[in-house]
Parts: sequence; structure tokens; C-alpha cells
Amino acid sequence: MKALFVSLLIAFFVPIGLLAVSDAGTSDIVEMGQNPSGEESEAGSNALTEIATGFGVTWPNLIAQMINFSLVATVLYFFAVKPISRTLDERQQKIADGLQYAEEMKTQLAEAERERAAKMKEAAQDAQRILSESREQSKEMIEHKTQEAAAHAEAIIRKASEATELERQKMLSDVRKEVARLVVATTSTVLSRELSDEDKQTFSDAAAKELAGSAS
Amino acid sequence: MTRDKKILRFAKNLVELSREHGVVTESRVAEVLNGMKRAELRRKLLVLKTYLYFIRRAVAQQTAVVSTPGALSPEALTAIETSFTQVYGRPISAVTTPEPSLIAGVRIRVGDDVYDASIAGRLERFAENVH
Repeated sequence: MKALFVSLLIAFFVPIGLLAVSDAGTSDIVEMGQNPSGEESEAGSNALTEIATGFGVTWPNLIAQMINFSLVATVLYFFAVKPISRTLDERQQKIADGLQYAEEMKTQLAEAERERAAKMKEAAQDAQRILSESREQSKEMIEHKTQEAAAHAEAIIRKASEATELERQKMLSDVRKEVARLVVATTSTVLSRELSDEDKQTFSDAAAKELAGSAS
Repeated sequence: MTRDKKILRFAKNLVELSREHGVVTESRVAEVLNGMKRAELRRKLLVLKTYLYFIRRAVAQQTAVVSTPGALSPEALTAIETSFTQVYGRPISAVTTPEPSLIAGVRIRVGDDVYDASIAGRLERFAENVH
């Protein structure tokens, strides 16, 4: 901004200075008579003089204008250009900071992306490992459960077999008891009917003597 | 039966008084009863009931109840008395009682002991031993 302002001043003063210098130079040359093309130079200076005169440009006015302009330029410089320049510098600094921040953020984003990718890769590896372990465990569990089921089935079959055997034994025992009961009942009936009183007394005497003998 | 220790002890003593040569006899029991009738005792009825209980047990212990469906020869009864007297170490007298359900043979009961040599008993044991 400062450079722009200086460029404007130069662009404003240089033509005027050149005009003044050319005006003064032309007068000197005309007076010395050393100009090879004196007529042309004289015609040019006259034209400039006429223009300056036409526009009302005189040295005192010009100097006053220059002073005025310098004052205005100085005031403008200190109260307008400088704050604006400061503001622009601050904004430029902010923009630069923002750009730097954006760059840093971009770097951090790239770093984060890289870390994320690494973590994703690690997570995928972990997931694969867990999946493998889970498959192994499920396989082992299936085998274990299969063995348990087989053992359970064998136990059930064994128990059923034992229960069947017990039932069979019980049934045989019941049959034997029933047969024995029938035999006893039949024998009792037959003996009661067939044994005579003499036979009964003989048997009773023998039994009594047998008891007496065994008791002593 | 009472649980009074004094009455129990008194009834047992009466039972011992009722024995003659270790055997409870009817005459001694009658003497004991006459004595009790003359004596003034408190709770006499309870004493008599306890005495009756112990007398029955003593008679049962000195008696072999021979159950048989028919008659039994005197020799068999004598053999039973002799044998059980030796076994128990006290005089045992045998009495017969008819029991037709035994079919044949004898069943002897002395106190709480039972000796069975009957056909019905053997058949019962046979039926019980069949499994």
C-alpha cells in the first residue's frame, strides 16, 4: 500500500517537474542560441507555456498545490492509508495464519487419515484374528457338545436298558412269586385233603421231636 | 401299664412271691391275691393290673404253647418240655392248642420266641424265599 502511494506521488509530480524543467531548459537554450533546431524547440515550449497558461498553472500556484497536496497526502497517509495499510496487513496476516492453519490442518488430517487407515488395518487384523479364534472356539464347542450329546445319549440308552432289565427282573420276580403262591395254595389244599389224621399225627410227632432235638 | 416305678417294683416282687421253685403256681397266686385283698393299699387296682401283666408274661415264659392240627403224643410233649427246660434254664410246661391251618407239624411259642416245624410254615417260608 505504501509503495502504491509513493508510486502515485511520483506519477503526479514527475510530469509536473518535467514540465517545469522543460520550460526552464527551453528558455535557457533560446537565450544562448545554441539549439540546432531552435524553431521547433521554441514552438514546443510555446505550446507548453500556452497550455500551462491556459490551465492557469503558475509556479507559485504549483508550489502551493504541491504543498497542499503534500499536506493532504501526509494527512491521508497517517490517518487513512496507514490504518488501512495496518488493517490490510492484519488481514493479510490473518489470511496467512489461516492458510498456515489450513495447511497444518491438512497435514493433521493426512496424519489422522493415515492413523485411521493404520487403525482400520489393525482393527481388520484384530477382527480377522477374533473371527479365527471364534471359529476355532465354535468348532471346539461343537465337538465338545457333540461328545456330550453322544455321552448323554449313551447314558439315556444305558438307563433305558437298565430300566428295562429292572422291569424284566421285577416281572420275573412277580411271576415267580405268583407261581410260588399258587404252588403253596395248591399244595396246602392237596395236603389238607390227602393227609389222613394218622399221617398228620405222625408228622407232628416227628416235627415236635425234631424241634426238641434242635432246640437242645 | 403304669410307669410308676414303685408300683412296677411292687408288682414284680408279688410275681416273685407267686413262684414256687421258680414256677408260677395257681396256689401261690391265690395266696398273693388273698394277701392283697386283706392289705390296705393305695391304688390297689393299678397294682393288680400291673401284677396281672407281669403274671401273664411269667406264665407265657414258663409255658410252651404247642400249636398242632391234630393230637400229639405224650412222648413228644415230654420231649418238648425237657428240651426247652434245658434251653431256657427254667421249668417249661407244654400245653397243646389245635391249629388246623398248620396242615401238619407243630408250632411252639415260648414267650416271644416262636419255633415252627409245620407244613404251612414251611410253605410260607418257601413262598417268601422265591424272588
